Amino acid sequence: MTTVTFTHISKTYPKADAPVLDDFSLEVQSGELVSLLGPSGIGKSTLLKLIAGIEKPDGGKILFDGESILSIAPNQREAVFMFQKAYLFPFLSVGENIAFGLKVKGFSPEERQRKVAEMLDLIGLPGIENRRPNELSGGEQQRVALARSLVIRPKVLLLDEPFNSLDRPVRLNLQEAVRNIQRELGITTILVTHDLDEAMAMSDRMALMMGGKVAAVDKPNILFQRPPCMETAKFVGVETFIEGVASSGTFVSAEWGELKIEDADKNGRAVYAIRPEHIRIQKEKCENALAGVVKNCIYRGAQIEMQIVLGERVLRAHLPAKNEILPAGEPVQVILPKEHLFIVR
Amino acid sequence: MKKLLIWIALLAPLLTLGLFALSKGWFYPEPFPAQLTPEAFSRLISDTRTLKAIIDSLLLAVLVSLLSLIIGYPAARAIGTQDFPAKKYVWLAIFLPTVVPPLAIGMGMSILALQTGLSGTPFGIILAHIVPTLPYTVFTLAGVFARYDENYEYQALALGASPTRIFFAITLHLLAPGLAVAGLFAFLISWSQYLLTLLVGGGRVLTLPVLLFSAVSGGNPTTISALSLLFLAPPVLIIAATARFLGENPNSVHERI
Amino acid sequence: MKLKRSLAPTLLILTLLLGASLLYGLMQSLGYLTIIGEKELSLTAYQNLISGQGTAGREFWASLGFSLWVSIVSTILSAIGALFLATLLNRRPSNFDTFALNWNLAFPHLVWGVFMLLLLAQSGLLARWAGALGIIQSPADFPVLVRDRYGIGIILTYLGKEIPFLTLLILALLRTQSDGYLLVAQNLGANAWQRFRLVTLPLVRPALVSGSLLVFAYIFGAYEVPALLGVRYPRTLPVLALESFTNPDLRARAEGMAISLIIAFIVLMIAGFARAKEELQG
Repeated sequence: MTTVTFTHISKTYPKADAPVLDDFSLEVQSGELVSLLGPSGIGKSTLLKLIAGIEKPDGGKILFDGESILSIAPNQREAVFMFQKAYLFPFLSVGENIAFGLKVKGFSPEERQRKVAEMLDLIGLPGIENRRPNELSGGEQQRVALARSLVIRPKVLLLDEPFNSLDRPVRLNLQEAVRNIQRELGITTILVTHDLDEAMAMSDRMALMMGGKVAAVDKPNILFQRPPCMETAKFVGVETFIEGVASSGTFVSAEWGELKIEDADKNGRAVYAIRPEHIRIQKEKCENALAGVVKNCIYRGAQIEMQIVLGERVLRAHLPAKNEILPAGEPVQVILPKEHLFIVR
Repeated sequence: MKKLLIWIALLAPLLTLGLFALSKGWFYPEPFPAQLTPEAFSRLISDTRTLKAIIDSLLLAVLVSLLSLIIGYPAARAIGTQDFPAKKYVWLAIFLPTVVPPLAIGMGMSILALQTGLSGTPFGIILAHIVPTLPYTVFTLAGVFARYDENYEYQALALGASPTRIFFAITLHLLAPGLAVAGLFAFLISWSQYLLTLLVGGGRVLTLPVLLFSAVSGGNPTTISALSLLFLAPPVLIIAATARFLGENPNSVHERI
Repeated sequence: MKLKRSLAPTLLILTLLLGASLLYGLMQSLGYLTIIGEKELSLTAYQNLISGQGTAGREFWASLGFSLWVSIVSTILSAIGALFLATLLNRRPSNFDTFALNWNLAFPHLVWGVFMLLLLAQSGLLARWAGALGIIQSPADFPVLVRDRYGIGIILTYLGKEIPFLTLLILALLRTQSDGYLLVAQNLGANAWQRFRLVTLPLVRPALVSGSLLVFAYIFGAYEVPALLGVRYPRTLPVLALESFTNPDLRARAEGMAISLIIAFIVLMIAGFARAKEELQG
């Protein structure tokens, strides 16, 4: 059981003009699965490399249970990786692969054999010790890689986009398996991903990374429904932002006039936002209704995506699939329900 | 430090050969020649036998590599782009001449050449050289074809180009680097060929390696070094020019030069 | 059929020339010598070799031993040297290393042999420097490193050429394949020596073994280097074969030819073994 703490980590690669990590701080509780989420190339993987000792930070500290690990050799850190590629040693059998970490630590053959069998049971692939890695499917290879990492009982598990190269059904299946095993063993885990769905499905908490630091960190449902700032809101799929002035329960924007809002004590300039699936379309007028014209309607199976011209702007709404598909040019009322309007920084 | 060591390894042979080639009256235990002079080179160039050997070697290597490319092209294309049941055996048949030592081929071939009247003739020598060059040309080109996208040709065909036009405008264009490397390999192998020239030439055909070999037995270090440098020039230039293409793929062509 | 037409020129030329050459060689080794009117086939040449009789046969076993010595020592030392060099160079990859190795490959064996001769002979460059520095008194004090009884000069020449070749072979593999595996091994607790022993070595072993077999086959059948840097006795098999073949005594010719066919046979066996091994490994 290990708590991982990052304080004020900074890192700039040689020859790069901007730092990849800039005053990055985060605490991962013991047994927790925290995902680092963000677009590619913003230092998520670098952070894992710093933990594993493959790279060194320029400044800041990394602590396991309050003790700095930066002076510990990379092969003694007990923070193990699972990569996008399984990297199962092609010249070893499945069993020998899993036993690799035990072998270098000097466990006896009997112990190795017993622990390997235990791990194979845990990952749901019992009895495949003697198979060769190239006889396994991609998903099975990743399971074996996970077993190889976990068999040495590491303090921290580092998942570096491990599901990326898998087909969707295999991916979902493996995500669930990894999550269950992680909970069962109670191992502190950091998941790096650019896939919002994956992060939401797996994490206890998600940390959204922007510009080398944590822009927001919270439980998945809170970050998804109420992202605190505009950048994070855009990342979780919010497209509609309204600038204006709030005063005692109303919000006035130059573009769309007066809208009702829930927080009555907010006054002054503000930006409000709404998720596309919270926008409603109907014929009749009501509170917070704006008159618009349908531009395009795309049927996406689970939902209908409707683009509506609203004054100068085109607004996108995700409607339940039971809604009617309207032809372009159709006049409609666009409802921005006040309970779904939230303020962003 | 590492870089320095590599530089030494890189330049030591050239410097040693250069030092001896430019020396005159340099004896033990003088660490360096008292005077440096290009005399050995001017002597070699003005010697008609050496000059002829250089020209013959060049002509021979160019002819052999062109012929290897022309003969090997269709086979390489078939092997690189198609799958057929006998492919394994075709590979084997092409692979075999690269494994049998030139000594065994050359001794039998010298008798064959004597009996067919090809011994010592240009045609005989060219045929002899094609045995080791052709397989490497085919290997190299087949590798190029395996990565070649024939759809460019189909596209041109669909747009109404004639086969000849497609060959010159599309195929040759796309394959130029691969053809160049394959041709250069063939050139290198032919250029450095000693045994086959000696045996099939019946001692009458003097190429640069044959001259060098007999000079080494004669034993004048200055002449030997100058000849070696002349002999070394094309391979070194070729490697320097193609280093980008060779990259990290070692090729067993090396074992033939 | 188009396929046959494409393959025919290459296959015909190669198989005809190779086949006819080997056939003529075989006939000659069996004593079919039209020049002296001998048309009876006999195994005399081979019997001479095995029993150690005849002009060339007398030296056969000594030559075979010497050839094996030179080839095996050169191959093993080259493989070890290449493994060491490749591991060293793989730590900090640079294109300059690759260029230097390719540069060495450009040197024909013949020129490399000349270089060794000029460098290591008793009146060579190193001897001159040693003399100038007063380390040795006369050329005779300099150790006999070329044209020596033990084939040191021959072995050194091959090392200079084969180490870079095998290094490049291993390095290509290491640079494209090893990074992830080495990282995983380190991550799982392996130290530098364990990473080398448990990851690098098994990863390059197949390529190193087949590359070494290729090197062995080449050295075993090569003529130029031992002819330049060897002594009269013992001679390597290829030198013995060619010198017997050009011997005015026509009976020695059959023996020379027989030796060269035996060399070819051994080389083919090794190449076939290497090939079969590769295929087993997929």
